[in-house]
Amino acid sequence: MNMKRVIMVLLASAILMGVYAQGQNEGKPAQSVEPTGPVKLQVWYALSGASGQTFVGQAQAFAKEHPEIELELTYSGSYADTATKVSAALLSGTAPDVAVMAAAQLYTGGQGNFEMESLVKDKDFDINDIYPGMQQYGMFSNRICALPYGISTQVLYYNKDIIAKSGIDLSTPPKTWDEFLKIAKATQQKGGAEYGFDTSDGVWLIKSMLSQNGNSIVEKKGDKVNPTFNQESGVQVATFWKKLVTEGVMPAGQHDNSEKKFLAGNMAFIAATSSRISKWKGNTSFALGAIPMPGFKKQSLALGGNVISIITTDKKKTAASWKLVKYMMQEPNQSAFALATGYLPVHKSSVNNPAVKEKVAGDPLYKVAIGQLDYAWAYLSFSEMGTMDNLIWGTLDEIEKGITEPKQAMDKAASDLLKEMKD
Amino acid sequence: MSERKMTIGGKLYDKEQLRAATVLLLPLLIAILVLFIFPVFRVVFYSFSNYNLIKRNDFRIIGLDNFTYLFTDVKFGKALRNTFTFALSKLLLDTSIALVVALVLDTRIPLRHYLRSAYFAPVVVPIVASSLIWIWFFDPGIGPFNQIRAFLGLKPSQWIYGEKTALFSIVLFSIWKGVGYNIVLFLSGLQNIPDSYIEAAQVDGATNMQILWKIKLPLLRPITNFVIMMGIINTFKVFAEVNVMTPKGGPLYSTSLIVNYIYEQAFTNGKMGRACAASILLFAIIYLLTLIQNRMNASKTIDVE
Amino acid sequence: MAKKRKHTNWLGFVLLTAGSLIMIFPFIWMILSSFKTVSDVYAYPPRWIPSHWEFDNYVKVFQMIPFGRYYLNSIYTSVMQTLMEITICIMGAYAFVALDFPGKKMLNSLVRSTMFVPTIVTLIPMYVMVSKAHLVDTYAGIMLPQILSAFTLYLLVSFFSTIPKDLFDSAKLDGCGYYRILLNVVIPNSKSSISTAVMFAFLGHWKSYTWPLIITNKQQYRTLPIGMKYLVQESSSEYQVMMAASVMAIVPVLVVYMIFEKQLVKSITLTGMKA
Repeated sequence: MNMKRVIMVLLASAILMGVYAQGQNEGKPAQSVEPTGPVKLQVWYALSGASGQTFVGQAQAFAKEHPEIELELTYSGSYADTATKVSAALLSGTAPDVAVMAAAQLYTGGQGNFEMESLVKDKDFDINDIYPGMQQYGMFSNRICALPYGISTQVLYYNKDIIAKSGIDLSTPPKTWDEFLKIAKATQQKGGAEYGFDTSDGVWLIKSMLSQNGNSIVEKKGDKVNPTFNQESGVQVATFWKKLVTEGVMPAGQHDNSEKKFLAGNMAFIAATSSRISKWKGNTSFALGAIPMPGFKKQSLALGGNVISIITTDKKKTAASWKLVKYMMQEPNQSAFALATGYLPVHKSSVNNPAVKEKVAGDPLYKVAIGQLDYAWAYLSFSEMGTMDNLIWGTLDEIEKGITEPKQAMDKAASDLLKEMKD
Repeated sequence: MSERKMTIGGKLYDKEQLRAATVLLLPLLIAILVLFIFPVFRVVFYSFSNYNLIKRNDFRIIGLDNFTYLFTDVKFGKALRNTFTFALSKLLLDTSIALVVALVLDTRIPLRHYLRSAYFAPVVVPIVASSLIWIWFFDPGIGPFNQIRAFLGLKPSQWIYGEKTALFSIVLFSIWKGVGYNIVLFLSGLQNIPDSYIEAAQVDGATNMQILWKIKLPLLRPITNFVIMMGIINTFKVFAEVNVMTPKGGPLYSTSLIVNYIYEQAFTNGKMGRACAASILLFAIIYLLTLIQNRMNASKTIDVE
Repeated sequence: MAKKRKHTNWLGFVLLTAGSLIMIFPFIWMILSSFKTVSDVYAYPPRWIPSHWEFDNYVKVFQMIPFGRYYLNSIYTSVMQTLMEITICIMGAYAFVALDFPGKKMLNSLVRSTMFVPTIVTLIPMYVMVSKAHLVDTYAGIMLPQILSAFTLYLLVSFFSTIPKDLFDSAKLDGCGYYRILLNVVIPNSKSSISTAVMFAFLGHWKSYTWPLIITNKQQYRTLPIGMKYLVQESSSEYQVMMAASVMAIVPVLVVYMIFEKQLVKSITLTGMKA
C-alpha cells in the first residue's frame, strides 16, 4: 500500500514536470521552415537604451511594410554577452538569423560564411557609398561578411567649466599629443581638476594612437597574422602612454572609473565613445565640449561599434534577412539611426542629408565626431582579436604601474599573442 | 529467509530496504546522470582536444597539450595563487566571524530577530546590485571607504585598483555577502543542543568558557565540518563578484580566480578545450582538499561512511 | 551563555549591533541612493541624503525593463526548482540515513563530487544538450538543469542523522514500512531543518545567474538577476535607477525571510525529543 502511494506521488510529479515543460513551449521559436507562407526571422541586437529603441522602431516599420516577414526582436545584452550567446547558439543550431553585434564577421566569415559578399552586389544596394574604412570594419579575410551599422569613434570630450577656469583657449585645438599633454597639465595646475585626462577604453585609444604613429598593430602575411605593435613606432606610443601617468595627468589603472570621474567634474578631458554624445548631452552638471583627437605623425582614429550581419544559411531566411538589412542600411534610415543615437552615419552621401546637415550645424559635439570620419579606419579582424585586446589591456596596466618598461611589455604581449595563435 | 534478505556482492541486505532505496534514490540518480555525469564526460573529452568556440572547423584531439599549457602559463599560476589566498583568508575569517556571532546571538540579547536578519540580509542581495554598490564604496577618490579611512586618520587605499589590495577588497565583499549563511547554520546547530546539557553543566558549576569548549564546540563539530567543507567548495567556485568588480582580472591579474580564468579562456579566447582542462584541474583540487579535510575529521564526520 | 541566565548579555548586544550596522550600511546607502537625482549620484564629495526625493526612479525601472515579468519569472522558477530539489533530496537523504544498500559509499562519493563542479564548467555541454531538446527559452530549460544539489542533500542528511534511532525502531515495531516512516516520523521531526534547507535552496535558485544568463535569450523568460544585469547596461549612467531596482528586488525577499524565520524558531521550540 505504501509502495502504491509512493509510485503515485512520483508519477504525479513526473507528469507535473512534463506539463510545465510542455506548457512553456509556446515561446519556442519555430525551427522548421514551411515551404510556403510567412518567414519568421530571429533578430538579436546588442543595442541598449536609445540605440535599441531606435533600432526596434525602424525594424517594426520595416515589418509593417513587409507583412510576409515576421520579426522577433531580442535585446541580447552587451557585446561580450551577445558574443558568448551567439557562440553557444551556433553550436546547437539556435543562432539568430540576423544579428547586430560587435565583430559579427567572426561568426560568419570566420565560419566560412561569405554569403554577404554576394548579397551586397544587389542592384538596389550601393556598397561603395559606404566609407571604405567602414566597409573594412565588417570584413574578414578581406571579404565582406557584415555591414557597419552602429559605428563610433572615440571623441575627446572636455569639461568646459574646468577649461574656462584654467584660462585655456581651445579654439585651435592641439594637433599633437605632446601639445595636448601640456594643456592637460595646465587644467590640473590652474583649473582644479584632479586629473587632466583619462579614457574609458585604453585598448581602443592605443590602437588609434598606434595608427597615428604609423603602426599597423597587426599585419596579414599570407595565412598568418603577425603582431606589429611591438615595433619601434609602437614602443614610442607606449612610452608616451607611460608619460601620461608619470607626469600625473592620467591615473594608473583606473580606466573603468574614468567616466564616473569625468561626470563628477573631477577630470578635464576624457576619450570616450561618440555614442556617449546622446547619453551625456544635457545630463552633465557642467558644460560639455569636444575637440578632435590629437595625433602623432598623423591623425587617425580606430573605428568601433557594431555591425549587422546575416548569420542564417537557410536560403529563404537569407533572402528575407537581406531585405531587412538593406532597409536598415538605406542611407536615410541608417543616418536617422545614427543621428538619434550618437553613432555615425556610414554613407558618404549622408553629408547631403538635410537632417545630418542640421545636426552637424547645431551640435558641436557631433560636428567633431563627424569631422573625424575623414581619417577613421578599421583594424584587421582575426580570430584572436579578443585575446589580443586582453593582452594589450594587461600590457597597459603593467606600463602604467611601472611594472614593466614599455618595450618589454609590448614584446611580451606580441610573443604571448603568437603563442595563442599557434593552436 | 530468502523472502526478507538478499545477498549482493557478498553482503546481506534487507529486501524491503532495497526496494525502498531504489524508489527513493531514483530521481536523484537520474538527475546525477543527466546533469552531471554526461556533461562531465564531455568536458573531459573536450579537455583533450583543441575545441575552439570561434574556430570550430578545425577540431582535433591534442592529447595533453592543454594541460602542459596550463602548467606553464603564468596567468594560470597567478589564478591558482589568487584562489588559494582568497580561499584561505575567506575561510578563516568567515568561519570564525560566523561562529562568534552565532554564539553571541544564542545568548540572551534583545532584538535577536532583527540582528539575525541584519546579518543575513547581504546573502539575499542580487550579486550584480551589491557589487555595484561596493564598487562605488571602493572608489579611491569619492568612495565612502576612503572617506572613513581619512576620518580615522589613515591614508587612502587603492582597494580594487591596487594590485596589493584588490584581492583582499574582494575578500571583504565576499565575507560581507556570505557570513550570514554560516551564522544561520551555526545557530541552528547551537539551537539543536539540548538545554538539558547546558543546565546540567551549570549545576555542576561549569563556567561559560568551559561550557563553550567542552560542550558547545564539540557538539557543533558536524555543523562546523559542514561549514568548512562547503566553504572550501564555494570559495573555489566564486566567480560573479570578481567578474563584476574586476572584469579583466584585476590590476596585474591579481584578482582572477581559477573560475575567472576558465571563463576568460572559454568565452573571450574561445579556447573551450583549454578551459575544460582547467576545469578538470579545479575539480581535482577541490576534491583533494575535501578529502584532506575529511581525513582530518575521520572519526567525527556526520557522513554515511 | 545559557538561555536561562537572568542577566542580558549587554556587551554581546553592543558588539553585535555595531557589526550589524556594518552589514546593513550598504542597504541604507542603496535605499537613499534610489531616491537621488543624477547630479546627487555624481556629486563630489559624495552626498548621502538626496537633494530631493526622486520617486520617479522607481517608475523608470519599469519603463526600462519589464521588471514585473522578471520578478514573476524568478518567483516561479525559484519555487518550482526548490520544490523539485527538496523532494528529490528528502527522498535521497532519508535513504542514506535509514537504509542500507549496495554501493552506498560509491554513491556518496559520486554525490559529493557533484558539488565540486562550478556551473561554468558544464555550461557548454549542458547548453548543447538542452538546446537539442528544444528547451532553450523555456521554463523547463531554465529549471531542470539546476535541481541537483548535493548541498541540500547533505544538509538534510546531517539533520536527519540527529533523529534518535528509537523513533525509527518504535515505528518499525508498529509495523510501518519505510515510506510511512519517512512521512510520519522523519519529516515531522525535521520541520526546522527542512525549513532551513528550503530557505537555502530557494535563495540559491533566486540568485542563480550564470545558467539563466545563457539559456534565456528572450525577454519574457529572464529572471531577476539577469534582468538587473540588463538594467545596468541600459542605465549605465543612471545609478539611482539601478538602486531603485535593487531595492525592489531585495525588500520582498527580506520580508519573506523574516516571516520564514519566525516559523523556524517556532518549530525548533516545539519539537520534542532531541536528546
